[in-house]
Amino acid sequence: MAESESAALHRRRFLKGMVVAGGATVVAPAAAQAQAPEKPTGNTSPPTAAARASEREHPPEADRLTTEKTGSDFMVEVCKTLNLDYMAACPGSTFRALQESFINYGQNKRPEWLTCMHEEVSVGMAHGYAKVAGKPMAAMVHGTVGTQHAAMGIYNAFCDRVPIIIFTGNAGALDERRPGVEWVHSVQDAASTVRDFVKWDDYPMSLQHFAESTVRGYTLACAQPPGPVFITADTKLQEEPLDEREQRKLKIPLLVTASQPAGDPNALREAAKMLVAAEAPVIIADRYARSQAAMDNLVRLAELLQAPVIDNRSRMNMPNTHYLCQSERAGGLIAQADCILSLEPVDLYGQLNVMRDQLERTVSPKSKKGVKVICISTRDLLVHSNYQDFQRYVGADINITADAQTTLPSLIEAVQREIASGGKNAIAMRGEKMRESYNGFADRARAEAALAWDATPISSARMYMELWEHLRKEDWALVSDSDFSSNWPHRLWPMEKHYRFIGGSGGYGVGYQPVAALGAALAHRDAGGRVVVSITGDGEFNMAPHTLWTAAHHGIPYLTVIQNNRAYHQEVMHVQRMANRHNRGLRNVPIGTMIDNPNIDYARIAQGYGAVGIGPINDPNDLSEAFRKGIAAVKAGQPALIDVVMQPR
Amino acid sequence: MKHLIVAVTGVMLAAGPAWAQTSGPAGNAENGKKLYAQVGCYQCHGLAGQGARMTGPRVSRTEFPFDGFLYQLRHPANQMPPYEAAVVSDQEAADLYAYLRQMPAPRDPNGIPLLKTER
Ligand code: HEC
Ligand SMILES: Cc1ncc(C[n+]2csc(CCOP(=O)(O)OP(=O)(O)O)c2C)c(N)n1
Ligand SMILES: [Mg+2]
Repeated sequence: MAESESAALHRRRFLKGMVVAGGATVVAPAAAQAQAPEKPTGNTSPPTAAARASEREHPPEADRLTTEKTGSDFMVEVCKTLNLDYMAACPGSTFRALQESFINYGQNKRPEWLTCMHEEVSVGMAHGYAKVAGKPMAAMVHGTVGTQHAAMGIYNAFCDRVPIIIFTGNAGALDERRPGVEWVHSVQDAASTVRDFVKWDDYPMSLQHFAESTVRGYTLACAQPPGPVFITADTKLQEEPLDEREQRKLKIPLLVTASQPAGDPNALREAAKMLVAAEAPVIIADRYARSQAAMDNLVRLAELLQAPVIDNRSRMNMPNTHYLCQSERAGGLIAQADCILSLEPVDLYGQLNVMRDQLERTVSPKSKKGVKVICISTRDLLVHSNYQDFQRYVGADINITADAQTTLPSLIEAVQREIASGGKNAIAMRGEKMRESYNGFADRARAEAALAWDATPISSARMYMELWEHLRKEDWALVSDSDFSSNWPHRLWPMEKHYRFIGGSGGYGVGYQPVAALGAALAHRDAGGRVVVSITGDGEFNMAPHTLWTAAHHGIPYLTVIQNNRAYHQEVMHVQRMANRHNRGLRNVPIGTMIDNPNIDYARIAQGYGAVGIGPINDPNDLSEAFRKGIAAVKAGQPALIDVVMQPR
Repeated sequence: MKHLIVAVTGVMLAAGPAWAQTSGPAGNAENGKKLYAQVGCYQCHGLAGQGARMTGPRVSRTEFPFDGFLYQLRHPANQMPPYEAAVVSDQEAADLYAYLRQMPAPRDPNGIPLLKTER
């Protein structure tokens, strides 16, 4: 009762402050004009306020202890003009005014405040969310320490080219800092910790500056190539009263969705000529598709050329139910190709060459001499110097700096024109060959999956197929990649829609999986109740098990399957490699890479955080029942976890 | 028992599976099983020798002749870490080989209902 009264009051106050700005995707209004703050009541009877203040050695203005409106309220108004559904945060006093404004003044709606237990979760969940929702959400991190915690999550998102709006608070003016902790959490240049791996940052010096930088930040975050942006909200700006006169001067710029960069028509014509003339063209897609339409366009282009597509699965690019999806034959196709079209490559050099990881590192090409390479990518539009995620340089024969997704329709037209004026026979014959090899993929995968079918610990193939038996009856989404489990879902499950899969971390920062899954599940929940599954390594999961509490607290259902090999297995292999290289071997149980003794009880951990916990599952014959229960819990709206004790890979 | 290491070329290695008859020192499969875990073969090839995409191919019931097998340990074709005699002796290699050779035959996927599922 009291709660609803206060909500109504806040709504009135909030709406009073709003003037609807025309034309924009704007929820709240430019330069909200709130009612004047109530004047401090003049007190006529002695002793006067001033007299009392002077007795306590406070200047009279210091006796004004409350206000109706602050800079942080205006900041909330700014955020409400953006298309932001969520703000994730672990609380911190450098943004205490903003937090209060979001939940009270902003009524905790658009954005809704989400409680996270580590700043890496706040940012990492935004990472997963954006890849499903197709738009950013926001995260707020505490000054200095929160930013430091968030750093790896930000780096993953930067490498993976995903938009996130990140805020921090900072007490800039030293005379305003409370002695002690506020000094420790203040900094000259808050973004410097993460500047190398955000797309843009700013430290606004006024509320007007905050409005412009936040809208600019949102726009920049979403412009291809997307990336995280970082805005510092000064605590003085947040906490100072905002009077009517000042508020009237403030204007929130309109958020306008920009179109994305498309390729130069001349270059596309050349590319089309090259592709149509090629005898063995190959298309490679990496961070290409952000939508179903982009997938459909890729299919269209592949069909026109009857060219095989290698989907590197940084995004869901190509339906594996299509015979031109030939990722299984990547090596052979690249070796034979005379023309390669690379769409938003992550590592083109690594795709075309292999380095032998032995005492002496040697490189050999995977492709034929003289292969023509066409690259369509925005990668050159976002390169910073320090971190080396840009990979080794490859000079493509035709390098088109453009958003591949936006450009593909034009390339399709160019190819159509080129085909209309040239020979098509070779193209048709290619298609036959592709169908033949495609038909063999599933059989080979099934035969390989059968190899350790009855093994204990459980094989990854068995786990994925037992899961599939239940998942296939649902509208499902897989929010984890499968590089550590032989890509089974891509080989054995039909992956035909864009929302089925979102690629991996981008920066290989372990800890991505549980947190990105949380955000992705949130977006899937809002999109309409898909059954979301995240397969995560035990090492990954242990970076942020408390994501399950956030999921339970906010009603975000998804199934976590722990691929529990009781190890940081990737590193087991690295240390083994070194031991062999040094001619020492590793007869001892590997030290520093195993996660056993004691074994961790993940089901109980899940239960402790308020999720459904099942396992450990040791016998493959128990998997089916575990998945049935887990999926039933998810469909009932709960986060659930199943601990499966598995083979190393 | 000493064993002569025959240097085989990559081409011969590739042809390995065609050599049905294998020679080499008699191996102790029981000890091979222990070694398979101890010296880390399982890490990349799986505890059942099934192999995994990103780490190493199937080795269960390897069709390599012993010579080719030993050569792969000592001079890996590509990314596999080398196992020199200081780490795995010839006799231990023979034990490993015996273990891999006697692994159970793989099941027919058509006999496994979940693998008969239409894609
Ligand atoms: C760090 C990973 C790793 C470890 C550990 C490892 N291997 Fe390998 N192995 C590979 C890879 C990768 C290949 C593929 C060829 C190459 O790259 O050298 C391979 C190939 C092989 C082959 C040839 C298979 C074929 O059909 O082509 C055999 C046999 C083999 N390994 C046996 C072993 C044995 C026995 C051990 C333990 C003594 C072992 N491997 C340890 C990664 C590994
Ligand atoms: C933050 C961070 N720390 C360490 C690593 C190194 N690393 C790469 S993979 C890996 C193992 C992860 O363990 P798990 O998720 O259990 O996967 P597994 O290799 O066991 O399948 C580690 C520690 C990393 N990439 N990122
Ligand atoms: Mg692990």
